[in-house]
Amino acid sequence: MKPDFLNDIRFTDLTWAGAGPFGTKVFSDFGAEIIKVESTVRLDSVRTGGPFKDRRYGVNRSGYFASRNTGKKSFTADLKTKAGRALVHGLIEKSDVVSNNFGPGAMERLGLSYDEVREIKPDIVYLSMPMYGENGPLAELLGVGMTISAVTGLMWATAYEAGDPVGPGTHYPDHAANPYHAAFAVLAALRYRQLTGKGMKIDLSQVESTLNFIGTAVTDWAITGREPPITGNADAHAAPHNVYRTRGEDDWLAVAVIEDRHWTALCDVMGRGDLAADPALSTADGRIAARDRLDVAVADWAAGREADPAAAELIAAGVPAAKVASARHLIESDPQLAHRGYFQRVAHPELGDSLYAALPFTIDGERIELDRPPLLGEHTREILRDILELPEAEIDRLDAEGALK
Amino acid sequence: MQPYSGIRILDLAHWLGSYTGRLFADLGAEVIRIEPPGGLPDRERATAGTFAFLNASKSSITLDMDGAAGFNRFLALCGSAQAVILERDGPFWDRAEALRTALPGLVVTCVSPFGRTGPMAEAPASDLTLQASGGILWMSGRIEAAPLRLPFGQAAMVAGTYAATATAMCLRDAERRGRGHLVDVSAQEAIAHSLQNAVQVWDLEQRVSVRGGEGTRDATEDVFACKDGHVFLAAPPALPNSWNGLVGWMEELGHPSGSALRDTRWTDREWRKTQAAKDAFRKLFCDFTAGLTREELCEGAKSRKIVMAPVARLADLPDDPQLRHRGFFRQLDGHRFPGPPYALSEPVWRVAPAPELSQATAEVA
Repeated sequence: MKPDFLNDIRFTDLTWAGAGPFGTKVFSDFGAEIIKVESTVRLDSVRTGGPFKDRRYGVNRSGYFASRNTGKKSFTADLKTKAGRALVHGLIEKSDVVSNNFGPGAMERLGLSYDEVREIKPDIVYLSMPMYGENGPLAELLGVGMTISAVTGLMWATAYEAGDPVGPGTHYPDHAANPYHAAFAVLAALRYRQLTGKGMKIDLSQVESTLNFIGTAVTDWAITGREPPITGNADAHAAPHNVYRTRGEDDWLAVAVIEDRHWTALCDVMGRGDLAADPALSTADGRIAARDRLDVAVADWAAGREADPAAAELIAAGVPAAKVASARHLIESDPQLAHRGYFQRVAHPELGDSLYAALPFTIDGERIELDRPPLLGEHTREILRDILELPEAEIDRLDAEGALK
Repeated sequence: MQPYSGIRILDLAHWLGSYTGRLFADLGAEVIRIEPPGGLPDRERATAGTFAFLNASKSSITLDMDGAAGFNRFLALCGSAQAVILERDGPFWDRAEALRTALPGLVVTCVSPFGRTGPMAEAPASDLTLQASGGILWMSGRIEAAPLRLPFGQAAMVAGTYAATATAMCLRDAERRGRGHLVDVSAQEAIAHSLQNAVQVWDLEQRVSVRGGEGTRDATEDVFACKDGHVFLAAPPALPNSWNGLVGWMEELGHPSGSALRDTRWTDREWRKTQAAKDAFRKLFCDFTAGLTREELCEGAKSRKIVMAPVARLADLPDDPQLRHRGFFRQLDGHRFPGPPYALSEPVWRVAPAPELSQATAEVA
């Protein structure tokens, strides 16, 4: 399906890199018109970051960019020029939402502070998502997604053992907490505008947003006065609960015995009647006390097996288990994702039929079909003509004077 | 007036969908946990903090759910609601279609480990196994050890946030056009949607992104020990100010690591992503940081535009000057409580303690 749920909504979208565009992408996927304002003078950093089609660099060849910008329109303007800024003002006047993820002060330098934008469009929904919030002593701190993991405690807690932090292997806050908190806030602000006629400014500090993703642990710590234990792949309340090596070069099996019935089923599958019969192991507390010994037992069993059939055997017996899937495995070998049509191929002039993850839900039993991401500046002229209603001669003049770079 | 004033959501979630209702409740929706007389399973399973966080601002009623009469009682309640959140292994999970048929204007959001369809629809799952089957577990950890999961129940956070966004989209359509929807959210898919660019790295370059970042992440982008803890650094070639600031600082202090990092091999972007480069950089950088505290390092980094930050533990958070300045933490039920994920210019975000079982029966009835 191609939903038209938002066909009355237009964004002037100044977000770039990862977290911002991922949050506005869901709006274009749902039928909103997202005008992505970019520039050939200062390229979006994910256009220049890979992976690239055939490993060959090109501003329209980045898969990272593609995955964050499906269904958007690309409008290029040099915001360093007065004429370029005036065009953006014109777009804002005809937009419902203005979005950016620049550092503090950048929108002000472009003459696009909330107050200035409100003068252009009084009921605008204005989304900013600077890393640490727009004001305060560390507002100017430079960072990437992993910086957010570092200052929130997420990096500290992603560890095999206490005191030796490893951290998430990705810029995790950029790909989950921050884009989707932002999207949810914009949808809420649009309903508020519907009710009251008023717009609002959303100052999404990516640190504060991410702290909510570990809010359960923060609240546990506040209530008990103790930091939650660092357990790696184990669980403070369950055992055995770990990731075990299987046959294969780098293949692993996750097994989680949460309930007593999982334990008896696991023993059954492993053929370990002796463990099942041990009354000391019949409760979670008993199994936790024997955690190391039970890890050895499961590891021995897993070591001789392939991960996928081992997981299947455990699942059939009712034990939570899964092969530790790589992206390649998800794409090529996951029957569930294949059944649900999770991955989509979308045609693109430079990327060919390249692969995208669908939005992770269906609506009324159907997948949302993605539209391809835009080429750099692909829609500039169309937008000038159809939205700003400029005559061709004026567009040519703007182009000649360098405002559309 | 709040953004979701006038919206009532019946919330039967108990794990993966719990955060969904919380997001709506803070912004004015009346979110009511519909619980069997003994409570939904999270009242027993979740830790105190998890329950308090995921269920703040909601209310609760109990309902005799048994048999056809129980479903009819629930259906009658749904008649007064705009949305319902169902979760697998919870009440009325298999009645989503019946709800849609009876109430065509209702948004029914179904949250589950693998979605409502497919060979895994009924498969058992936990946070650990979902992180495995969604692909995020594969991405973290050290290459010489097992893949490492993300802490603190991230499967539920990711699934719950996506479910909230999808529900909000569908509510908007239901209000505009009078047509309800059935949303089927898969936690596995939600996690698989959060793998950075790993899907494209495989599709376009036939490389597998793997824990440790071999081949994908610069040697400088990592956690490093210092005198009193750890710092995170990022000084890849893509951030030249950060790299030049760092090497310049070392040279300024006459530290030998400075000249070592001027070696031309550090201009080779691809080599810098190898394990050899990672090992070499760690040695040189940790020689430099061994005598410096987190505060000294981060102060020096800030003035030199180096991307560096302290690796904080939860106990450090109340002292974070930025969070203090912004008044991030709130008090709820006599405890410190996280503030909102977004600061809104209109005073529309409010939080209230999670409900006791059946805390709002009087008002709802």
